Amino acid sequence: MSFIDLENIIFQYKGSKDGSLVNVNLKIEEGQTVLLCGASGSGKTSIIRLINGLIPHYYSGELSGEITVADHDIKNTELHALAGTVGTVFQNPRSQFFSVDTDGEIVFGPENIGLEPKEIKTRMNDVVAEMDLEELLGRSVFDLSGGQKQRIACASVAALLPKIILLDEPSSNLDFDSIELLRGIIMEWKRQGKTIVISEHRLWYLKDAVDRVIYMEDGRIAKEWNAEEFNLLGEEEVKKYKLRPVTLEEELIREIRGECDSEIIETEQSLELKDFFFSYKKRPYLVFKKKFKESDGDFLNLNIPDLKIPKGKVIGLVGPNGTGKSTFLRCLCGLEGDCKGKIVSDGITYKGRQRLKICYMVMQDVNHQLFTDSVKSEVMLSMKEEDEKRCDELLERLGLIEFKDTHPMALSGGQKQRVAIASALASDAQILLFDEPTSGLDYSHMEKVSELLRQLAVSGASVIVSTHDPELISDCCDYVLGLNHGKAIYLKANKYS
Amino acid sequence: MKLDPRTKLFMIFVVSLIVMMSATTPFLWAIRLSITLIPIILLILEKKYASALRFLIAYGTALILTFFFLSAESEGLIASLLIGYCGIVVQFMPALITAWYVVRTTKIGEFMSCMQKMHVPDGIAVSLAVVMRFFPTIKEEYSSINDAMRMRGVMLGGGNVLKMFEFRMIPLLFSCVNIGEELSAAAITRGLGGEVKRSSVVELKLGIADYLLLTFLTAATVIFVVFKYFL
Repeated sequence: MSFIDLENIIFQYKGSKDGSLVNVNLKIEEGQTVLLCGASGSGKTSIIRLINGLIPHYYSGELSGEITVADHDIKNTELHALAGTVGTVFQNPRSQFFSVDTDGEIVFGPENIGLEPKEIKTRMNDVVAEMDLEELLGRSVFDLSGGQKQRIACASVAALLPKIILLDEPSSNLDFDSIELLRGIIMEWKRQGKTIVISEHRLWYLKDAVDRVIYMEDGRIAKEWNAEEFNLLGEEEVKKYKLRPVTLEEELIREIRGECDSEIIETEQSLELKDFFFSYKKRPYLVFKKKFKESDGDFLNLNIPDLKIPKGKVIGLVGPNGTGKSTFLRCLCGLEGDCKGKIVSDGITYKGRQRLKICYMVMQDVNHQLFTDSVKSEVMLSMKEEDEKRCDELLERLGLIEFKDTHPMALSGGQKQRVAIASALASDAQILLFDEPTSGLDYSHMEKVSELLRQLAVSGASVIVSTHDPELISDCCDYVLGLNHGKAIYLKANKYS
Repeated sequence: MKLDPRTKLFMIFVVSLIVMMSATTPFLWAIRLSITLIPIILLILEKKYASALRFLIAYGTALILTFFFLSAESEGLIASLLIGYCGIVVQFMPALITAWYVVRTTKIGEFMSCMQKMHVPDGIAVSLAVVMRFFPTIKEEYSSINDAMRMRGVMLGGGNVLKMFEFRMIPLLFSCVNIGEELSAAAITRGLGGEVKRSSVVELKLGIADYLLLTFLTAATVIFVVFKYFL
């Protein structure tokens, strides 16, 4: 019998067709590294959940077939009994931490299985040394970046010394450098002989790490490649399977990382940004806060004295994590009250609260910005004067008209994003800001977002999109704006579009 | 200064108890005030000057109002509003600020270890720990919802108080439920809820500060009760 053995699996979640499995047979030998790829909802996550027992013990549904993992019959094994055998790194770093402090998180698993404190400490020191985590110890999980959180999540799984490690879209929220580190961790696990199963949309970083690649389609295993075949997959073929590319343009990566020459181009039609200075660090003050100035230098998280950005275009905002991309967006649309920047458009100057009126930011988690009980009232809420006809037009344009009376929370992620865009357009915003709109999306969903962004620009809006996603940039951005340490390093036309 | 979680829990208990029992004589008031000072001193030791100052001002104002400007015979709308305000601040704030201090300064690991020492069943301990873990999450989610509301200009819910509340609560509930669900899945795959007794790497030991504080709190409680009910 194989180490992991899924036999004739048929599964359907209660009340949902998404992610169901049809006749899946999969055998994985000890020490193999297996990549699961395919569109969202094709059943990748369901396979991960079958191996760690969350199906059927936590997520219920109709299940038939046999699952055996390291000699445990999953159907008859309690979840906590698998803790020392199977470890899982989840997609969302926000919701997989039990503790608030990093140390507590690493020892959480071993404590649960009742190990001796002495043994736990040894394990913790080993894991910390192995993954180079000293600098992250003793900190609050809430102060870490996405990449740092994901490393702590890996460490807390590794501390249980599982033979099998599952990763469910671990790179969704990470930038290039963090993905490199994640890759290092996976390679180390592989060297230790662990059996690894990764479900992932981004493929390039796993190219030399995997032994087998399983392609899922509509709940079936539709195709399998070995490492050699996978590395030789041509661009055309990858596109045909609607997968993200296996190799990336080196130059594009350098550009996204900000490793290229400083150069700011000028365009005819432009929005002028003036005096955008901001810092998260607080300075003591008595009555009035001191304004941030250019001369504050390194104290600032955002330092843009004057910048002209092209109008009516899609501009990709790039740069490493923590370099000020989100800060830039928040300041631009006026959410950070202490940033006194001005936007000049068509000779009109917008400052302070006026910026909130002409800008609209679609947040990374769109759930936070939908408030009402139907798509229609969501759009109406944004209008100064309720205009049913215009609302219908907008919904028509975004392909949402059939969901007019649906509750926004009942929609899929992409649809929610479009509802947010519809309400942005309804509020007459001219500048639309997007914060990582494609993180965790598969190729075809990414394409849809990219097409939508282009349409928005064609209809006259200026679109600024912060992203790490190389495909999104090459697909839809007219210009690329690179930030580093809060400064605009370059702004140039995107040669890949 | 580092206090043992057990001392902190006892402190919450004593502060709530004494503050809730009404003080009738100046001597009882003195005890009550000195008990209220403890969380303030602790906050200052933790370098949370702003919170300490804010609490001090709110509490001080309420006290002064109660003693010098309000009496049982006060009448009128303003007086009754003020009585309500002062009553809430004087009765509940000390307990609230103590609890806040405890949540801010206790790590989840310490808390779990403390619960084990007191032989609280794992089920209860874990639930309480999750509640503690959730405060910062709620804060984070709430502030991004607030941002979204500002951006859409619906901070005041279009002048409708109910809507103002609804717009905040609905997204907040949705995201908290989602996070909670994912969180428990992640915790279960790491062995939470097994039959084995949890262990803990945190070793708790009562220090001098703990003994001093425990003695003081106990003494204050005994004196308060004796003077109020038996003398």
